[in-house]
Amino acid sequence: MSVADVAIAPPKPSRRHGSGRGALGILFAPVTLLVVLFLGPMVIMAFMSILKFPPNTSSGRTLAHYSDVLTDPLNWKIAWTTLWMSTTAMIIMLAIAIPLAYYMVFRAGRWELFLLLSLVLADELAPVVKIYAWQVILGRNGIVNWAIPGPPITWLLFSPFAVIVTLAASYITYTTIPIYAAMKAIDASMFESAVDLGAGWWVQSKRLLIPLAAPGIFIAMILVYIPMLTDFVTADIVGGTGSYMMGQRVRDLILGAGDWGAGSALNLVMLFVSIVFSLLAYRLARLNRIQT
Amino acid sequence: MSATPDMQTDLTATSHEGQIFVDAVTKRFDDVTAVNAVSIQIPGGEFFSMLGPSGCGKTTTLRMIAGFEMPDEGRIVLQGRDVTSVPPAKRNVNMVFQAYGLFPHMTVAENIAFGPKIKKLSKAEITERMSDVIHTVRLEGLEDRRPTQLSGGQQQRVALARALINRPAALLLDEPLGALDLKLRKEMQLELKELQQRTETTFVYVTHDQEEAMTMSDRIAVMNLGVVEQLATPRELYQRPASAFVAGFIGTSNLIDLRVDRTDAGMLAMDLGDGQRILAVDPGSGHDDGRATITVRPEWIKLANGTVEDRASYVGGTVVDVVYLGSITQLIVLLRTGERLTVHRLNDEVGAVDPHPGETVMLRWAAEHSYVVGSDPSPAPREADAEKGQA
Repeated sequence: MSVADVAIAPPKPSRRHGSGRGALGILFAPVTLLVVLFLGPMVIMAFMSILKFPPNTSSGRTLAHYSDVLTDPLNWKIAWTTLWMSTTAMIIMLAIAIPLAYYMVFRAGRWELFLLLSLVLADELAPVVKIYAWQVILGRNGIVNWAIPGPPITWLLFSPFAVIVTLAASYITYTTIPIYAAMKAIDASMFESAVDLGAGWWVQSKRLLIPLAAPGIFIAMILVYIPMLTDFVTADIVGGTGSYMMGQRVRDLILGAGDWGAGSALNLVMLFVSIVFSLLAYRLARLNRIQT
Repeated sequence: MSATPDMQTDLTATSHEGQIFVDAVTKRFDDVTAVNAVSIQIPGGEFFSMLGPSGCGKTTTLRMIAGFEMPDEGRIVLQGRDVTSVPPAKRNVNMVFQAYGLFPHMTVAENIAFGPKIKKLSKAEITERMSDVIHTVRLEGLEDRRPTQLSGGQQQRVALARALINRPAALLLDEPLGALDLKLRKEMQLELKELQQRTETTFVYVTHDQEEAMTMSDRIAVMNLGVVEQLATPRELYQRPASAFVAGFIGTSNLIDLRVDRTDAGMLAMDLGDGQRILAVDPGSGHDDGRATITVRPEWIKLANGTVEDRASYVGGTVVDVVYLGSITQLIVLLRTGERLTVHRLNDEVGAVDPHPGETVMLRWAAEHSYVVGSDPSPAPREADAEKGQA
């Protein structure tokens, strides 16, 4: 290339000029809001969890709340109850959500959108009203006991069973939609070629559908497990003495006993556990993601 | 349907290896008849294509052979066995899909071994077949890749290998090259043909690309609106199209509406004055109302200078368009009848001069190169082909 050519070449258009500062300006407000409204309370809570009792600025710092919380056998018992109940609810939800998502993506045809909207609308109903509805269904004089002959079944309501069923019903939307999205990315002709090669429904599910929907399944678990860990409304309304959950424990420590130190410490321990769980699930989801 | 018992007898009398018999099959979707009483006989080891525009019923026919669709009427007979109600996996045929349907989370080797594993073949057997088929489709060294790490052509080969490892009696291919670019498609066409000859497997190939069908097939069924318009070898289809549809679909063709002024010496003739005429061999029917549709290929039409033999069409016209295409030059000539003829001149001489637009030229072609075609599919060629299929 000669010097003349270079001189003739038009200058590069500088349309990006100044856009960096503009973008920064636009982002500034939401980022500030996020920091103030989201991280702010978190910092306050972290601060409360290391304050000596009574909580005020002059009483000094301690890690005693953490050791108290972690060594209290009652907390471990509640953690165990919370874990098995939410895991059971999770299993029930996956058992419903995976076939449901499969049906919506590959079989429902023109009903697909209707089902999707139904799921979303079911979730948008006021949660407290929905939970009270389960009292009507499961109660001593409720719909189930009315339908089943014989003496009323008493363990239906105010029991771990009631909490598990209600949790599963409450979070089914958040379980189904990520799995639905993952399955949407699956090429349907894959199942036809599997049938052509002799695969029945079991082999298709085990070797094709579940592995390919796995990213959605892990995302669903992140989305649903964590709110179940902190849920206290469900157990309040339909739970009994045997279904006392972690969310209730934190609420009762802070609002009931006024023990901000223990409540905050317990909450931060749960936050830590949730983060570890999320990272693990996220990692697994990425491992299984189809590279495109 | 009356022919069915005879067909059965014939099929049991001959070798069944890879033989496919589509017997008067009809398929309807709601009130649309996708396939209408189609009968096709494919002898073992043939490269057979079903060719037609979208919606002509070719894919539905293929899917009925594979077992993915159930015919409303008629039978599917594979290797002498009526499989009309047998599920796809138990038919000893395998299908290669347009979208390949590869399993994205499995390696190439896992994809290929999927079928044999389900059939519970021994590890040694799978290993042996695997190395065999990997070699056949030239995928050596790519066994541990994922499908998404392969090119389109390589993915295509995985799909082929995954089907071939099951040693099917017939391989059914549904527009398998549709997703590839032109150059790769041409390479794969030759490769597929070679693969078919090497494996001696019956290939049933569905395509809307006439060139693709012509390149690979032993025989082609041209389909339109759910029926077979013509079933013949590529050469026959091109040289003797049975209908206007086939003439138009296979290559470029001129269709001329012929007014039959006289018939003599086995020829139909339309006189245009000044000794000009258009001739066609009299097929004996198809011109009852004094009119006939004839077809003539562009490369058979020559520019005439000097005398013209008696048994040749001879007609003048004005050149309206000249397009230089490299190996040929395409002329569009407007006849005095108002019809436009496409003429191809082979550019096999350096310095040959093409006519200019506006110039008047005389055209000639042998009467044998004009065929009377039916505008609707006639049953006659199909019967003829059914006999050939049994031979």
